[in-house]
Amino acid sequence: MHPLKILTEYGPLLLEGAWLTLQLSGLALLVGALLAMPMSVARCSPRAWLSLPVRIYISFFRGTPMLAQLFLVYFGAGQFRHELQAVELWWLFRDPFYCALLTFVLNTTAYQTELLRGGILGVPRGEVEAAKAYGMSAWLRYRLIVLPHAYRIAFPALGNEVILLLKGSAIASVVTLFDLMGQTRAIFAKSFDFSIYLWAALLYLLITMVIVRIWRHLETRINPHLRRRVTQVPVATKAVATATE
Amino acid sequence: MNTQVLNTPQVQAAEAPLIARDIHKSFGDFEVLKGISLTSHKHDVTAILGSSGSGKSTFLRCLNLLEVPDAGELVVHGQQVHLRRNRHGEAVAVDEKLVEGIRSRLGMVFQQFNLWSHMTVLENCMIGPLRVLKEPKAEVEERARYYLNKVGLDNRMDHYPAHLSGGQQQRAAIARALTMEPDVMLFDEPTSALDPELVGEVLLVMRKLAEEGRTMIVVTHEMAFAREVSSHVMFLHQGLVEEEGAPDKLFRHQESERFRQFLSTNF
Repeated sequence: MHPLKILTEYGPLLLEGAWLTLQLSGLALLVGALLAMPMSVARCSPRAWLSLPVRIYISFFRGTPMLAQLFLVYFGAGQFRHELQAVELWWLFRDPFYCALLTFVLNTTAYQTELLRGGILGVPRGEVEAAKAYGMSAWLRYRLIVLPHAYRIAFPALGNEVILLLKGSAIASVVTLFDLMGQTRAIFAKSFDFSIYLWAALLYLLITMVIVRIWRHLETRINPHLRRRVTQVPVATKAVATATE
Repeated sequence: MNTQVLNTPQVQAAEAPLIARDIHKSFGDFEVLKGISLTSHKHDVTAILGSSGSGKSTFLRCLNLLEVPDAGELVVHGQQVHLRRNRHGEAVAVDEKLVEGIRSRLGMVFQQFNLWSHMTVLENCMIGPLRVLKEPKAEVEERARYYLNKVGLDNRMDHYPAHLSGGQQQRAAIARALTMEPDVMLFDEPTSALDPELVGEVLLVMRKLAEEGRTMIVVTHEMAFAREVSSHVMFLHQGLVEEEGAPDKLFRHQESERFRQFLSTNF
């Protein structure tokens, strides 16, 4: 079949798959971001009972393949069906969407926590000390000084994680989900047309390119203090300057 | 009856907002401070001199508990800081909330400015009074603008620290401290990180503050400033007060040979 013809025929299905991919990875990233914030703070704590569990968690999820993690959740949970039913959690593990989502959340949380930890370690010490010297509590210091800095430092790396998870989410297709990869496989199984993989690859590429652009835009937005000042005109002379224009 | 009134904590606090007695501090086996005392009365400008390693910065940092003294007594605004040992044997304050309250009454100006780089100059000044002292925004903003104006930064309020010169950053840091309306201002070598031609503008601001009667404790290498502006000079050597007194007397005649040497090499 002609590569364009297959696109017109199966394009809508492909887009449907892309939408599921975006939903899965978007949701996972969002929940992961919410969890990573407190966990990175715990990870940086000098108290071992706070940092050690986080360290173990991170080393497990960074050190094993996400596919293995997904199988562990999806097939492993079936072994505990009765127990899960007893605690009213079977609805979650029965559904491949939730299984994939849970796996991705656990995985990206580990990575985001570690990225944010790097950011926290990169916060200028003097600024934290100044916050202390002005009577800020630990909570205020984190909220007003440490985390705003940490996110800015970690921001480019977090963008990388967004893209990695988006592409990594393709493994959802092996637990019967029709994400972009799943749809592509299904279409190939029907049409035996190899070019559908090419279209899928292009679609992934398009999505990541858009994300890169958005991320670059956001990066300049959140870092006005790192930008070069465009106008060095003092306020008093500004009026004169515009008047003479 | 009269003496009883004089001894109430309120009166004491009003007259001597900061009292430090016999402050000791060690880092590991190295004893940096071997018992230093200082009483800062209202309107006092205390200059702390000493060569590097004499413990002068450490002493200043002990005053607002950025370093916790191992032993000694610290009373700020009539509130005594009680210390205890944690299980690692390090000294810690018993009441962290009290420490935070004390710090908010002591405006600290750092050698490296330490402005919050992601906030504008105006935000730097406002955030403490807003979030720590929980004062109303309009009032805080008015005060921040007033002090920024005073240090000569009225046209730099919406700039970020990175867009300012070192001297401007330090003046902004002074305005930040002033906006907290502290009882005592602590200066930790405020001009040491500045290019020589920028030192003057910062010293000028500090001189103005001293003339207004602000209570200040200044660790400095600026001998002229110490001699002309301060009301009390302390010379530290190896963690002890080697010599102290009124500047006009101390700069004319030194009891200590070390202080004499220090002055001859630093003037």
